[in-house]
Amino acid sequence: MSDLHWMTVDAAARAIAARELSPVDLTKALLDRIEQLDPKLNAFIRIDDEAAMAAALAAETEARSGRLRGPLHGVPVGIKDIIDVAGLPTTCHSKVRLDHMATADAVCVEKLRGAGAIVLGKLSTHEFAIGGPSFDLPWPPARNPWNTDHHPGGSSSGSGSGVAAGLFPMALGTDTGGSVRNPASCCGIVGLKPTYGLVSRRGVFPLSFTLDHVGPMTRTVADNALMLQAIAGHDPLDPGSAAAAQGHYAAALDRGIRGLRVGFVRHFHEIDTPAHPEVTAALEHVARSLQVEGAEIRNITLPSLGEFGAVNRVILQSEAWSIHGPWLSERPGDYGKLGRQRLMAGAFMSAGDYMLASRRRLQMIAEVEAALREVDVLLCASSMDPACRIEDTAEVERTYPRQARTPFNVTGHPALAMMAGLSVGGLPVSVQFVGRYFDEATVFQVARAWERVAGTDKKHPPIV
Amino acid sequence: MDKDTIEILARHAGLARALADFPEDVAVSAKQAADVAHKIKRPTDPTAEPWPPMKTGTTL
Repeated sequence: MSDLHWMTVDAAARAIAARELSPVDLTKALLDRIEQLDPKLNAFIRIDDEAAMAAALAAETEARSGRLRGPLHGVPVGIKDIIDVAGLPTTCHSKVRLDHMATADAVCVEKLRGAGAIVLGKLSTHEFAIGGPSFDLPWPPARNPWNTDHHPGGSSSGSGSGVAAGLFPMALGTDTGGSVRNPASCCGIVGLKPTYGLVSRRGVFPLSFTLDHVGPMTRTVADNALMLQAIAGHDPLDPGSAAAAQGHYAAALDRGIRGLRVGFVRHFHEIDTPAHPEVTAALEHVARSLQVEGAEIRNITLPSLGEFGAVNRVILQSEAWSIHGPWLSERPGDYGKLGRQRLMAGAFMSAGDYMLASRRRLQMIAEVEAALREVDVLLCASSMDPACRIEDTAEVERTYPRQARTPFNVTGHPALAMMAGLSVGGLPVSVQFVGRYFDEATVFQVARAWERVAGTDKKHPPIV
Repeated sequence: MDKDTIEILARHAGLARALADFPEDVAVSAKQAADVAHKIKRPTDPTAEPWPPMKTGTTL
């Protein structure tokens, strides 16, 4: 079987279940590709090849005897390094946590293993999932497989880079201000921030308690739904976990979108933060294509991106300061410059700032809820620009905040980013779909309709 | 936020070492914080509640 590295999660799992593919062959093929490409991409902080091969052998033995652990049996996965994997350090890509050893799997990792997935190792992130690509940390920043001179987005940068490059077909990321959807946008893959509370955060190093989400990152919409199915569910020991029943996330994937109402939030990219012309053109193309497929497109107005961003930042930096304050007091030199600057900001915010943001947050939730009573799904920008060169710090600083992801961390609605097309320079541009609480199935339905029209699941970076 | 205010707030927050070793980073952090809250509309209704609310008996 050729091109194992471009196999989808779904295809690999089906082939393994049918005994047409060996988990050992698949894992070995991916580890070989990692050995070949990761020196250019830096997606990994730690490759756990021995444990992965042992798990693959066990999966193969089980598959031969007809015992499948679940729908991901024998399929490799990468884990962002703020998420605990038992027996491996959770460094958060920081000198501060170099020696931290995880004694148990995070709940999301435990669930993936329970579904049969094979953990390949720990993936690069921005330090403590904040800041940007940095060159003053213990490991280099991940790079974009579409052009390794460019950044892959973040903070789940290794997850985005590795999925797009075919190092693994799925990865876990986390999203507090857009950190699953940014790398999904930059690397041209599918990244979902689920409804707040749908996926347990237990065993994930926190950045901001009320904004943190764990999300699946894959090359196809169907794989994303499959991965979400494995990791979603109530966790009574996570205080933010929702008691809502788990959905059937792939239920509507190929139902089409005739009659669905799609709210286009144009002011995000036309007025609030004017997008690069190629992004604007791509978003209009997505809207027209959905209309051709039978959806009704309506204009929707929400609070401004600037205000959403301010609310997100006050809450995020205040909550993050409550975690990092002691370390920043005692060992500020152990942080990289960007992380230090972002995390110390919370020291200068007042209780009044935090309460103002929290009270406005409830109003913003009400405004998005009102919009989602008028339409079934929202369509809007994700990133306003293609990824810039990673070593152009001024351009990274300028373009990183030019995005429309933070609104849905503030409100907790499910939001999916995926490829909308390729720029003239050959880099992905992106689109975002947002749904009602716990209605990931409809988000996937619309995303799949766009994927089918545009063939985004067939577009891979030119890297080998 | 002026330099003296930044220093007072930084020391109060326990950032004396950061102030000594990374004064520019402390100043950048203070500027980020100072700029941001002004962009948020203040609720005009004095009874407007924050999110998330206190809820008993629903978790843990």
